[in-house]
Amino acid sequence: MKKLKYILSLALLLAFTACDKRNDNVVTPNVGDAFPQIIKLADEGDGELEDEDKFSFKIDLADRVDPSGESLEGKIIPLKKTVKVNFEVGDIKGFSKLSDYIKDAKAFYEIDDCTTSEDANISLNLVFDANTGKGSVDFPAGVEEIEVEFETNDALFDDDVLNTTDRSLEVKLTGLANAESDVTVNTANTFKYEVLDDEGIHGEYELDVNNAAEFNKFIALFGLINEDVKGLKASDVDEITIEFAYDEFKAVIKLKETEMVTECGETEEKNKEIEIEGGLEELGLKTLSGDVEFADDIEQEDGTEAEFKYSGSFEISGKELVLTLTGEYNDDEIEEITLTFSK
Amino acid sequence: MLFAQRPPALPTFVQINKKGILMTFKQLLIFFLLMCGSGMAMAQQGIIKGKITGQDNEQLAGATVLVNGTTNSTAADLNGNYQFYVAPGSRSLTVRYLGYRDTVINVTITAGQLTVLNVTMKSRQSALKDVVITGYTEGQAKALNQQKNADNIKNIIAADQIGKFPDPNAAEALQRVPGVTIERDQGEGRYVSVRGLAPQFTNTSVNGEQIPSPEADVRYVALDAIPSDQLASIEVTKALTPDMDGDAIGGSINLITRSAQSNIPAISGTLGGGYNNLMRKGNMQGQLQYGQRFGKNQKFGLLLNSNYYQNNLGSDGIERAINDNELELRDYELTRTRLGLSSSLDYRFNNHHEVYFRTLYSRFSDREWRRRYVFKPEDEEIEKLTKDRYESQSVLSLNAGAKHTFKSFLLDYEAQYSYAEQNTPYDNEAAFISGNASTLNYTDTRYPSISTDQDYTNNSQYQFDELGMGSTIAKDKNLTAKMNFTIPYKINSSNGIIKFGAKVRSKNKNYSINQNTYENLGGVPNLDQFVGSPVKNQFMGGRYQMGNPLDVSSLIRYFNANPSQFELQIADKAADEALESFKASEDVLATYLMGRQQIKKLMILGGVRYERTKVSYDSKDVVIAANGDLEAIRPISGSNVYDFVLPQLHFKYDLSKLTNLRAAITYSYARPNFSEIIPSQEINREDRVATIGNANLQPVKALNYDLMAEHYFGSVGIASAGLFYKKLDNFIYRRTVFNSPYPTTGTVIIPRIDITQSQNGNDADVMGAEIAFQRRLSFISFLKDFSLYLNYTYTHSKARIQSRNASETNANATEEIRLPGQASHVGNTLLAYEGRKFSARLSVNFNGSYLSELGGTKDEDIFIKNRVQLDATAGYAINRKFRLFVEALNLTNQPLQAYQGTPNQYIQREFYSYWLRMGLKFNL
Repeated sequence: MKKLKYILSLALLLAFTACDKRNDNVVTPNVGDAFPQIIKLADEGDGELEDEDKFSFKIDLADRVDPSGESLEGKIIPLKKTVKVNFEVGDIKGFSKLSDYIKDAKAFYEIDDCTTSEDANISLNLVFDANTGKGSVDFPAGVEEIEVEFETNDALFDDDVLNTTDRSLEVKLTGLANAESDVTVNTANTFKYEVLDDEGIHGEYELDVNNAAEFNKFIALFGLINEDVKGLKASDVDEITIEFAYDEFKAVIKLKETEMVTECGETEEKNKEIEIEGGLEELGLKTLSGDVEFADDIEQEDGTEAEFKYSGSFEISGKELVLTLTGEYNDDEIEEITLTFSK
Repeated sequence: MLFAQRPPALPTFVQINKKGILMTFKQLLIFFLLMCGSGMAMAQQGIIKGKITGQDNEQLAGATVLVNGTTNSTAADLNGNYQFYVAPGSRSLTVRYLGYRDTVINVTITAGQLTVLNVTMKSRQSALKDVVITGYTEGQAKALNQQKNADNIKNIIAADQIGKFPDPNAAEALQRVPGVTIERDQGEGRYVSVRGLAPQFTNTSVNGEQIPSPEADVRYVALDAIPSDQLASIEVTKALTPDMDGDAIGGSINLITRSAQSNIPAISGTLGGGYNNLMRKGNMQGQLQYGQRFGKNQKFGLLLNSNYYQNNLGSDGIERAINDNELELRDYELTRTRLGLSSSLDYRFNNHHEVYFRTLYSRFSDREWRRRYVFKPEDEEIEKLTKDRYESQSVLSLNAGAKHTFKSFLLDYEAQYSYAEQNTPYDNEAAFISGNASTLNYTDTRYPSISTDQDYTNNSQYQFDELGMGSTIAKDKNLTAKMNFTIPYKINSSNGIIKFGAKVRSKNKNYSINQNTYENLGGVPNLDQFVGSPVKNQFMGGRYQMGNPLDVSSLIRYFNANPSQFELQIADKAADEALESFKASEDVLATYLMGRQQIKKLMILGGVRYERTKVSYDSKDVVIAANGDLEAIRPISGSNVYDFVLPQLHFKYDLSKLTNLRAAITYSYARPNFSEIIPSQEINREDRVATIGNANLQPVKALNYDLMAEHYFGSVGIASAGLFYKKLDNFIYRRTVFNSPYPTTGTVIIPRIDITQSQNGNDADVMGAEIAFQRRLSFISFLKDFSLYLNYTYTHSKARIQSRNASETNANATEEIRLPGQASHVGNTLLAYEGRKFSARLSVNFNGSYLSELGGTKDEDIFIKNRVQLDATAGYAINRKFRLFVEALNLTNQPLQAYQGTPNQYIQREFYSYWLRMGLKFNL
């Protein structure tokens, strides 16, 4: 009888130990404070016209939960200790040697809107070898973002022909030196820099504001999304330019009216400007004619956002750009309007 | 006759104002003094106390002891113990118990003294040589004797019965009770509905005191967390008496744990294992119980009980979202464990005074892997997901109390600490997406066909979408103290009792959540780098392919090794954690006064209960800005106080010693779910919709009418029929106020927004009929070893809610619906064979279809289709101590099926196949 009791008790104990088997193959994730600070490339890419003499990329930190709870969307929590970030420039296209294009490099960060670390003689110990493409830069403690700027050979790609092949390079972060385990770096993402061809659609164009027909068409087209533009008369406007930049369309209406603007302690009189911007959803590249579409959201009076979209086609002939667009915004539509710009 | 002179008032059942409360208290005070006076007048009675057992020393719960020639009687409790006050002199007592011969005993009673009278009864069936008495019949007898002698309408299941059905948990054991339906999860019973009312209308107690719910947002207890092996019996009270908590409209479930009976060590247990056909995996179970009384006069009793059950189960399912034209394949794999530990210690100082301490700890764990494909033809996407979650629900109940028998009154009091917790230490789900177009065809509504441009099981096409990793913990703690006085009295030749008491309960509940969802910052590989092995040979009988599943643990290992490729969704984290977490406290004060009077064959029980509830909550508002950004998270608090006066009146008329007629008019209420009253708010200005809690929500009130006729068979059995009607007031429903200013009071921040909130306001009616029949077929010679068990309940309900077609112009339009959770038809059938050594049972449980969820329109209402489950058990008694058993469940592979709008428009079909358990039961 006693033996039986012991056997039964043992069997029951064994059964209870089976409770723990339920958590087989469980991996505890490193979340919360165990999730490290991540150094990453701030952008996926950028591009400048072929005669530009510099380009840059930025390195920043991934947002984290704001310990104070003030910023609900999170914010960058700067590092507590400086780390060295290694990077590499490579995957060059449209040229054979990196050193033919990149002449020099520097790194800095913004201290405020008017001052950089360079102005304050703070060195980020940038090291860059244009022959190998490898480099390193300090990401200092207490800083949210740093920028590495390359001085380029502005003549290398500056031609007068429409290029049909890519001219680009890529930057990757490759690792960290002297970093502790609570800081890591994203080495998977790349920053692609593209040389934009000013024989194609990219570049800046001007509308003849003295051409009443063209001016009125412009006002009708963009007055759809901007009440200030809608009410403009030709006599109010000094200049209208549009620009197809990297992934972005921008129209600037420079008014004759001026205002006093103070920047970094200096005050000067400047023309007032109205800007219209949109992200390029579609754009024909390496061609003199193609499709174009750009869109963005505009905040409404009640705080909601509504999308506008312009789509159509372009045709380049010499220094002249003919742009044919239709527009949509809220429930309103603008039928096809053709505008002519000159470079 | 006190009640004839002063019938208990049935005041209008409302939450009363202060003046109303004072007047009622005045009346109660007079009533109380009258009752005490009567009790004092009876101080010169003697007391008889004892235990009623059978020939094998089994306690005969529910046996009646009647003083011949009077109306003075009592019924034995669950352990066969009885006590009552008897006029002094030579008395003749008759002891009755279904299935046993009436026993007549002569005894001399001395005024003011206690006489101990233990009775051993002889089985009626021992005279029938060919009839075998088994544990099942004994259990049935215990249950029916208690049911027969109860003052109110209740159903009882004894432990021996529970053990004979293949029901591993309390919920599944309860499905055998007339009028009870259960909601299942993965084929196992979980929530219990009584008489067509959703689970929140039923309260759950352990040893007579409510236990908290481990779940965060509800009050009702998931009864699959309570192993049935821990229970001595289950009572389902369908008409409340004033000494019971008043917050039960459907019914009150009391789970009673076991206690020690004699000085002979009682060791019993079960060892077994089994097999799940769908998963092709085993299960295991074990139970060990030890009980003994110690000391010269067996003063100290100790019972220890433990059990463990591990079940490996799963399901194959299809789910359809009609409005979004989406289809899901769901492959579940689960490991569930149930651990139960209980103890009962009692010490009887003498025949007048005893103390006890009872504990129950139960722990239910559920490890779940859910592997899914979601086909989204409109988006030309297919999602592939796996969830890996572990959840444990623990309930701890500690009851300490005492019972005192004084010369002129009985006193019992108890303190209880109970704690419930639902802990989800990890809830991880990962999703990958493929840009693979698919076409869904519902020509066969049971098995829709899927065609895709590319092989959807090819994991290399799935790109990482998100990885969610969360943990939650919900805690609920009750501290309760109560006290009851019972005073006997006699008016002319009619005996009666006055009972009064009070209770206080303090509840603290809180819920916290930690959620981290990561998306791809760059570099996370496609799904083919994180695959596991299929867990089943085939899915849905081979109709669909599942391929190699996503292994979440493999992905989390990658996440830990490469955190720089993952981006935390910070605003989502803040909103999720703020919106769902809360703290709540609830204090309840209750007092009651009741009388029970036997007037010849008529028993009248009447009285009134008063309950005051004070609640307060702390939570947070989440405001989503018009541009979709998270705008603000603000702390918010709410509180409420409500009072109820609940008159109760019960009649029981003995047409014969085996036939009762019962009637009851009772008042009760049901508190709102926490999820409805927590004042948290989600204000989405982008979509112009808001969901806000309602801290001022009032409980649902009910007036209940019950009528029941029951005839018991002397050979153990019952035929009964009953009618019930419930009128619900302040029924809670979700109402949308279109274009409301927000907030609804004070300074307006948002001029126009659609606000959805749970509100009171509408009436509902529930009515029904239930019939039950159970008896051994010994009156048919060739079926003498067979028993039949039948019960059926019909329920009808209607409630008025805001019309789903309501809009700004007709916001007050209403429509009539059937109450969610109410099945029209519910029933059980059991055919049992009981031979000398071999026994077998075939049971069928029928759950009719019911409305599960109200949709935005009537066509979007979701119903659970009716379901018939066939289970079988068999046992072979090797000798008196050892018995082999085998149980088979869900033999016909009945699926869970949900449909939307019309019955053939399935939106969910889930199959579990059958599973088996077998083993050895012993009673040493």
